[in-house]
Amino acid sequence: MSRQASRLDAKKVNSEFLTLTYGALVTQMLRDFENAEDVNKQLERIGYNMGMRLIEDFLARTSAPRCLEMRETADRIQQAFRIYLNIQPTISNWSPASDEFSLVFDSNPLTEFVELPPDLTNLRYSAILSGCIRGALEMVQLEVQCWFVQDQLKGDNVTELRVKFVRRLEEVIPAGED
Amino acid sequence: MSEEILFDCLHAEIVNYCLDSNKEHDLATLEYIGFTTGYRLIERLTREVSRFKDELETMKFICTDFWMLIYKKQVDNLRTNNHGMYVVQDKAFRFLTRISPGTKQLEHAPKFVAFTCGLVRGALSNLGINSTVTAEVQSIPACKFHIEVNRN
Amino acid sequence: MAFCIAVIGKDNAPLYLTTSDMEQELELQYHVNAALDVVEEKCLIGKGAPESKELYLGLLYSTENHKIYGFVTNTRVKFIVVIDSSNVALRENEVRAIFRNLHLLYTDAICNPFYIPGESLTSKKFDRAVQKLMSGTA
Repeated sequence: MSRQASRLDAKKVNSEFLTLTYGALVTQMLRDFENAEDVNKQLERIGYNMGMRLIEDFLARTSAPRCLEMRETADRIQQAFRIYLNIQPTISNWSPASDEFSLVFDSNPLTEFVELPPDLTNLRYSAILSGCIRGALEMVQLEVQCWFVQDQLKGDNVTELRVKFVRRLEEVIPAGED
Repeated sequence: MSEEILFDCLHAEIVNYCLDSNKEHDLATLEYIGFTTGYRLIERLTREVSRFKDELETMKFICTDFWMLIYKKQVDNLRTNNHGMYVVQDKAFRFLTRISPGTKQLEHAPKFVAFTCGLVRGALSNLGINSTVTAEVQSIPACKFHIEVNRN
Repeated sequence: MAFCIAVIGKDNAPLYLTTSDMEQELELQYHVNAALDVVEEKCLIGKGAPESKELYLGLLYSTENHKIYGFVTNTRVKFIVVIDSSNVALRENEVRAIFRNLHLLYTDAICNPFYIPGESLTSKKFDRAVQKLMSGTA
């Protein structure tokens, strides 16, 4: 590498590359679909597909044993964010039954540089994340609901993703969503 | 590398999205997504570097530093006819290495290089060089990118 | 104390301009346009060795009341900063720092996927940050 570029931080560049590529995808989708809700669904679906692939890599990388309950699952998800996105969300707001919790993010690499236009308040820009969590967990026989409670892009202080256990799935390979 | 697989997954999903038979999309959309990404990315990457002297120096930057940062390797070969035609050769192009080599897969190869064609075209465009970028895949995973500078 | 910051795009289309003194706005715009001519001279490719490999161009010219500084990115975007001559406290390295910060702010602003390159910069975030940059040295 030339002397010039050695000043550039490879990890940071990778993160920025991801951010910019994702942004280009989102804006393309907004051109393709009439309304933001359709885009939200598409982003979720893409996230879901990615989650199903990433979980295999995650399991291979961490040789994690099966999670017996949600607290372990939460830790694994936190670990996955560290590994793949280099961020550490905090786990909080557990429900009394310990079947529901929040992931709270101070920063979100996908939304770095993003300023949401005022007419797109119902766009869930980071919907790929909730889809990803759902897809990944479904591959390990956990059906969950995942949704955004707070979003920094919409003026909240933090971005908060809520994860709720729905049920354990039978040991069949779930069909990918089309 | 964990970041690599994440991006590879995203790239694959973008390819699928663009080429979904339900929509009227084709490689041009995929190329455009690459274009707008490259355009913005180069703005960031060239922040810390000193001024490029000429077109050749700009091309060299793309083929060394830019390629290294995005694709974790330098290109294997850069040739030019000194009249605005450049051929960039990568013997193990990142998005082709996951496809099994073989002539049957060749017809799918364009899907995996379109984004990069746009990426390079976008980067050059922001640096003041208007070009046409195409890719030639004769045997997976090797790829040649043809950059033709429009000098009008 | 007049202070003006301008961002001009590749084809010399103005993308952003702000000044701390609205009364002098017209005069400052004139200075910015004149400065662009000087920038063109300094950056002509093929004119032999460029004067400097640096992006920072330094003092472009001065008038009785103003000093005009310039900076050109590798992507041909120009930043012009106009400073009141009476502001003698502002040193060279502080001017460089202004441009460095402006460069950072600009690259972040255009990386907003909703920004279309070539259009004026209407980002509130960018504007707020540039205002802070101006008042930090005013």
